[in-house]
Amino acid sequence: MLDKRKIRLMARAAIYDKEYGEEDLKITGYYQKDYVSLNVWITLIWVTAGFFLTAALLFISNSESIVEGITIVRLLLLAAIVLAAYLSLMIIYGIGVSTFYRKRHAQAKQRVKKYMRDLSRLEKMNLIKEKNRS
Amino acid sequence: MSTLLVWREKLQKIYAKYSTYILKALQLLTGLVLFGLINSNIGFMESASSVFCTAGLAVICTFFPMMIMVIAATVLILIHFYALSMPIAAVSMVIFLLMYIFYFRFTPKKSWIVLLAAIAFGLKIPFVVPVVFGLMGTPVWIVPASFGIISYYMVDSVKDSATALRSADAESMADSLITFTRQMFTNREMWLMVIAVVIGILVVHTVRTRAVDHSWKIASAAGAAVSVVVSAAGSIAMGVDISYVIVVVSAVLGIAVGLVLEFLFFSVDYSRTENIQFEDDEYYYYVKAIPKVGVSAPEKEVKQITGRRPGAKKNGQKEDSVTADTNPEEILLTRSLSKELGLNGDNNKTE
Repeated sequence: MLDKRKIRLMARAAIYDKEYGEEDLKITGYYQKDYVSLNVWITLIWVTAGFFLTAALLFISNSESIVEGITIVRLLLLAAIVLAAYLSLMIIYGIGVSTFYRKRHAQAKQRVKKYMRDLSRLEKMNLIKEKNRS
Repeated sequence: MSTLLVWREKLQKIYAKYSTYILKALQLLTGLVLFGLINSNIGFMESASSVFCTAGLAVICTFFPMMIMVIAATVLILIHFYALSMPIAAVSMVIFLLMYIFYFRFTPKKSWIVLLAAIAFGLKIPFVVPVVFGLMGTPVWIVPASFGIISYYMVDSVKDSATALRSADAESMADSLITFTRQMFTNREMWLMVIAVVIGILVVHTVRTRAVDHSWKIASAAGAAVSVVVSAAGSIAMGVDISYVIVVVSAVLGIAVGLVLEFLFFSVDYSRTENIQFEDDEYYYYVKAIPKVGVSAPEKEVKQITGRRPGAKKNGQKEDSVTADTNPEEILLTRSLSKELGLNGDNNKTE
C-alpha cells in the first residue's frame, strides 16, 4: 500500500537534494566564520583583479590625456585617487560580501536541518513499518 | 473578466501539466532569438554565423541550464570579435570578466536576466525591461539589466564601426584597441539607457511595493513614463540621437506587458479590500487585506453509467492506506508538505 505522507516527504527530500543538496553540503562543511572569511578573501582577490582591469581599461581609453603634461604632483594625486577608489571598493565589497555569505550559510544550515528532520521522519516511518511487518 | 480568469486557470493547469516542455520550448526560442541576433549583427566569422550554427547552439543550450546559454553567447560574441580584430576581442573579454567578477560570481543562476535585457534591446523594445524587471524582480536586478545593456551596446558599436576597427598590423591593432575602449567608456547613448532603465526599475519596484490600490498598474505606467522622460531629457541634454518612436512604442508595450503580468501574477479584487486595525501589548497594527480573484475552471465530468465506478468501495475493504491523521504534528506536517508540493486540498481525494 502506498503511504501518501511518506511519498510526499520523499518528494520534498528529493527536490531539496536536486536543488540545493550538493551546494548546501559544501557550505555547511565549514563553520560559519570560516566559510565567511574564506569567501570574503577570495572575493577581495577577485575584486582587486577586477579593479586593476578596470583601471587598465580606463588608462587605455584616456592614455593621451593622462600622459600629456604629467608632473610629479599630478602623478601623486592620480595615485592617491586610485588608492582611495581601491580602498573604498574593498571596504564596500568586504562588508557587502560578508553579509551575503553569512546569510547564505545561515540559509543553507536551515535547509540542511529541515532535510535531516525529514530524513529522520522517514526513518521513523520505516522503522514503524518494519515493526508492524514483523 | 470572468472568462479571462477561467482562461488563466486553464493556462495554469496546462503549465502545471506540461511545464517541462513549455520551459524547454521557451529556452529554445530564447536561444534561437539570441544566437540569431548575435549572428545577424556581428557575423564576422562566416562558419560561426551560419543558420546551422545558430540552430545547433540553440538546440544544444536547450538541454542545459540557462547559465550555459549565457556562456555560449559570450563565447560566440568573442569568436566573432576575434575574427574582426584581436584587441576588440581582448577588451570585450575583459569587460565580460569584469561582469563576472563584480556580480555573477554571487548569483550565477540569475545570469539569464542579462540575456533578457540584451534581447529586449536587440528587438528594439528597451523600455519593456524596466517594467518587467521592476514588477517581477528586486532592486538588485538593476545590475544584470545594466550588464545586458552594456553587452548589447558593445555588440552594436562594433557592428556600426566594424570597418574602422578591423586591424591587421600592430599599429592598427593598437589604434583599434584604444578606439574601442574609448568607445565603450564614452558611449553616451549606452550610459543614458543604463540610467533610464535603472531609474525605471527602481520606480516600478518602489511603486509596486506600496500599499496602494492598483499598485501594479500605476507602477507599470510610472516606470514607463519615467524611462521615457529620462531618456528624452538625457538625449536633449547630452546631445544623443535616439529614436523617439522606439522609445515611446517600447514604453507603451511595456505598460501592456505590465498589465498582462498583473493579470497573470497579481489578480486581486480591490472592491473587497478590508482595512483592519488591531493592537497587542507592543504595537498597533493597520492591516490592508485584498482578496485574490480566482475562479475554478469548469471541468468536464464523465459519468459512467454502466460498470463499476472507479472510486467505489468494496464491502469491508478500507478505501485509503493512509492512517487517520490524529496526531496534530502529523496533520501539520501533511499540510505543510501538501502546500510545498502544490497538492493543496487533494488530501483525501485520490490515491
